[in-house]
Amino acid sequence: MSTIKHDASLYKIVVIHYLIAAVCFLVLAVMMLFSVDVFSGHYFQPKILAMTHMAVLGWGTLIIWGACYQLLPVVLETELFSKKLAWISLSLFLPGLIALVYSFWVFNPGIHMECGSILLLSSILLFTINVFFTARKKQQGSIQHDFIFTSSLCLAFTTLLGTALVFNFQFAFLPQDQLHFLKLHAHIGIVGWFLLLVIGVSTKLVPMFLVSSYHNTRLLLWSYYLIVVALLLFLVDAYIWGINYKTYFIVLIGSAGIACYLVFIGKCYKSRIRKTIDLPMMHTFFSLMLLAIAIIILPLIITYNLKNDPASVRYSLLYGSMLFMGWLTALILGQTFKTLPFIVWIKHYEHLTGKVQTPMPADLVQNNILKIQAVGLVVFCITFFGGCLFSSVLLKYIGISALLISAITYLVNVIHVLLHQSKTTTYDKV
Amino acid sequence: MIRFDITDQLSFMKMGIVESLRLVMDPELHINIIELGLVYGVKIDETNKQIGIEMTLSSPYCPMGESILSAVKNCIEGHFIGFQATVELVWEPVWSYDNITEEGKRLLSI
Repeated sequence: MSTIKHDASLYKIVVIHYLIAAVCFLVLAVMMLFSVDVFSGHYFQPKILAMTHMAVLGWGTLIIWGACYQLLPVVLETELFSKKLAWISLSLFLPGLIALVYSFWVFNPGIHMECGSILLLSSILLFTINVFFTARKKQQGSIQHDFIFTSSLCLAFTTLLGTALVFNFQFAFLPQDQLHFLKLHAHIGIVGWFLLLVIGVSTKLVPMFLVSSYHNTRLLLWSYYLIVVALLLFLVDAYIWGINYKTYFIVLIGSAGIACYLVFIGKCYKSRIRKTIDLPMMHTFFSLMLLAIAIIILPLIITYNLKNDPASVRYSLLYGSMLFMGWLTALILGQTFKTLPFIVWIKHYEHLTGKVQTPMPADLVQNNILKIQAVGLVVFCITFFGGCLFSSVLLKYIGISALLISAITYLVNVIHVLLHQSKTTTYDKV
Repeated sequence: MIRFDITDQLSFMKMGIVESLRLVMDPELHINIIELGLVYGVKIDETNKQIGIEMTLSSPYCPMGESILSAVKNCIEGHFIGFQATVELVWEPVWSYDNITEEGKRLLSI
């Protein structure tokens, strides 16, 4: 049995990741508010590149790292290989992120952008080493182990390709144009890093949070192989031939893998003991719905791309923003308030449980603020994605304003949980 | 399910232990470990002032497992002064839905 135990040094690493990611989310929402007009053009432009990297690195990756340092030992039933590596990784990551995002925003592909990418690459390689050695400690492998390990390799590969793309702005050494490699860079990141990691971790956490009796991993085996095969086929095929008719078949294989994962979650949901679904778990199910919608958009992008129709650019932007700002954001907004309260609760109450009455982990969260955050997210998804689809600037403004509200409430709630003061009652008074 | 034998002198103490364990809550399900059917047995050694609890968890991957086990130990030692508690974690029989008491099912809206 491996459980969350309070470890002061690990606590600091985890908490700082959550806090910085929450600040990055707010910065991202502000960046989006000041550049609504760019969502009407092509996705390969400075401000979109800056916002995408803030979303995937500052928001998505940082919070996943924080959660990973705490949860990897639980999911893999072992201990984290090195806390020192985690600190070094973070201290390289932050200046790298700032340099990269700023250089994209003002579009200055020179020394700052190159240094930023090198710092990020070093940081991510250290994270990969940490995951590799943590996973290696585990004697008996599991499918979640395969998902997590493959995802960290993909993250390193994504960053390697990203660094090459940054240097290519100045030295133009890649055999094909930036856009060609951008598709590969984006998909190794989305599918290889985020999707595989999310499946690996969520297939342990969701059954646990729902107290589900379904533990069969056959579907997950199928999911893993179908997604990895689809990703490899896409990388080879798109590198050599670009988007073509075979891409439909590759999308079908990948979608079948995602479907296996969704069916697994569905079976856990059906066999759950805990009947009431709390708000954080509702965020999770909402995020899975957005993932399914984003996958449905893919054949449209291929069709328009094959016809050289400019609609392919609009749908690509919709697809990308639905994945990063829809699927990942909803998932993180929900899962933060499932994991962070547990981590903070253990720090305050583990030694007191059973002696005095303590609050439950869920009591550490401000539920009213969480509700505002949830409403903000739903309004954002409906109006912003609607705005992207129908090219309405007004809808995009409404959506991003709602996202800003979500980001502010999220940060306030994270700080509220982190600043929690111990409150106990003796059993005589209960 | 724990059974009580009224011919056993210690059965009332065992009942007291079980009652006190109702104070230990599952942090995710928000119901106590007795209603969840996690406690399989209670042993009392009056001579050596030892209380042994045999229990399981709803999942081997339960991230709060350690906290629940320490809560059980703290709870027993807090209520039965002078006694030392030991908690033995077992995985057989495997905990299932059927272990939940009628009251537990009602609380979980099952």
